[in-house]
Amino acid sequence: MSGVVDLIFNALEIFNPIFAPYRRFNEKLSPKGQQTLTAFIFIAPFGILYSIFTILPIFQTIWISLHRWEIMGTNIQYFGLKNYERLLTVDTQFQQAFGQTIIFVALSIPIIFVGLLFALMLNRPIKGIGIFRTIFYLPNIIAVTVIGLIWSRVFASDDRGLLNAIIVNFGGESIPFLNRGDLATIVVAFTTLWWTVGFSMLIFLAGLQDIPDSLYDAAKVDGANRWHQFRYITIPGLQRPFAFLSVLQVIASFQIFGQVDVMTGGGPAGNTRTIVYNIFEVSFEYFQVGYGAAMAVIMLVILMVISIIQLAVFRDQGVGN
Amino acid sequence: MSTVSSIGDEMRQQRAQQDKIRHRLYLFVLAIFALIWMSPVIWTVVTSFRTEPSLQRNLASFIPVPFTTENWTFILSSGNLWKWFGNSVIVSTIHTLAQLVVCSLAAYAFARLDFYLKRPLYLLVLVGLMVPFQATFLPVYLLFSNLKLHNTLIALILPGIASSFAVFLMTQFFRGIPKELEEAAMMDGAGRFRIFITIIIPLSVPVMTALAIFTFLGNWNSYLWPLVSATSTEVYTLVIGLRKVSQSWGFVDFYGRNMAAAIFTALPIVIFFFAFQRRIISGIAINSGIK
Repeated sequence: MSGVVDLIFNALEIFNPIFAPYRRFNEKLSPKGQQTLTAFIFIAPFGILYSIFTILPIFQTIWISLHRWEIMGTNIQYFGLKNYERLLTVDTQFQQAFGQTIIFVALSIPIIFVGLLFALMLNRPIKGIGIFRTIFYLPNIIAVTVIGLIWSRVFASDDRGLLNAIIVNFGGESIPFLNRGDLATIVVAFTTLWWTVGFSMLIFLAGLQDIPDSLYDAAKVDGANRWHQFRYITIPGLQRPFAFLSVLQVIASFQIFGQVDVMTGGGPAGNTRTIVYNIFEVSFEYFQVGYGAAMAVIMLVILMVISIIQLAVFRDQGVGN
Repeated sequence: MSTVSSIGDEMRQQRAQQDKIRHRLYLFVLAIFALIWMSPVIWTVVTSFRTEPSLQRNLASFIPVPFTTENWTFILSSGNLWKWFGNSVIVSTIHTLAQLVVCSLAAYAFARLDFYLKRPLYLLVLVGLMVPFQATFLPVYLLFSNLKLHNTLIALILPGIASSFAVFLMTQFFRGIPKELEEAAMMDGAGRFRIFITIIIPLSVPVMTALAIFTFLGNWNSYLWPLVSATSTEVYTLVIGLRKVSQSWGFVDFYGRNMAAAIFTALPIVIFFFAFQRRIISGIAINSGIK
């Protein structure tokens, strides 16, 4: 393998004359200058793409949010902070979406605990238990369209959904899971749990395996019962996964979009509309990109604040890298 | 002496026997729970093999009687799903390879070279960890509109190649590689690029594989961007195609067909998962920086 690579590099040396001016320029530089030149060449492909698709869009989003900006780009006018004024004062739809997103964030906290429960359940040295780790993790890798489709069919109204068909078969009255705001919220939250709990489970399993057995042995010698072992060894030992997962969960829940788009379309009556769904709707259905951008900026600020708090907390606790 | 040890053996054997029974029982309870947990998936598979009239009569059945492959022959013979499958394969593969190349080059510079502006530039890279695409995709959308590049595979491939996370992960990894290996090569007159290719890359295969698997999965499953960028049927990815199909066929009339299409969409990634299972499970700990 390395022989082939050497051969290629040696063959490439016929291009040396082309690089001669570069070499001459490079030799004039200080050692650090030379490394800077090399480094910039290494970073260039990343730098260009990163600027275009990540860094510039931050500023462009802010810029667009200060305008009345239609998606076809025909009608653009400076608006100052009017978009924000409308968002924060008169737009009850956005305020509802904001509140709904907070509800989804709150409802996602149980995912962490269910994940812990699954991890404890599967953290035993039994032959064949690995299969169950695979099974519970599996939904996590499947696309949101598939997940949303399956669960929206399970919860569909009347006897067109699995659960209601079962209820009707047993002579009950069908429940309008997806047609009532509160129920639809729970259904979406539950679907998210089913979809993502395997990830939390795996993180906790890795964390559990990092706790040295000697701690438990010592506790047993001291006569600690199971609950005490759990309370004073397991829980403190899982501090890192807990911190990591709660931050991740909050950030992910702020961005809920796919489940809502597939399962409810934001309905009924806007009851499951999230911030990202609202951005999508306003920008691509009402074509008001400027207004959508203002919502995006608000979300960006919130998520950056969360990230910075996370960094501060992790550093204080000596958690994380 | 010998009787004592044989009594000990017997007790140990007895305990092992008890453990075995207890383990079997535990696995059995887990299996029941797993069946209930995955029952919607089982139901979906069963439903895809049932006829429409029988589905109209009763949805809640886990037995595919009368059995039919009609739904499957329909979706497999409609070229669209295969076309979208191809699009997904092309987009995710190129996206993943490009990300590995672009990000590992940058990571090498940050891990090994001592250059001006290194710290501020690295901090700028880390900013990307805090910026979700959902909050900044509108200008990217407008950029592709201006370039008339929507409804092309390029539009689906490009955003996200320059990933902060990938650079961060690989920088951490490259820093852990002993410098002596490179110094020896440098004595022999090898340039930085040659060192990168011949020394760093071969040593980084595990971390790069883990990264590649997750990038591939993430791109295959990505939703918001292909939803807004790809609006014509020929450039849908499988994930977006399924959404459109289930809307246009309508659920009331084509229940079985929709379920078959859902399984068709999930299947490639499930196979992918089982092929890389070990690496995925261990990679999650690596990728989340827990280990």
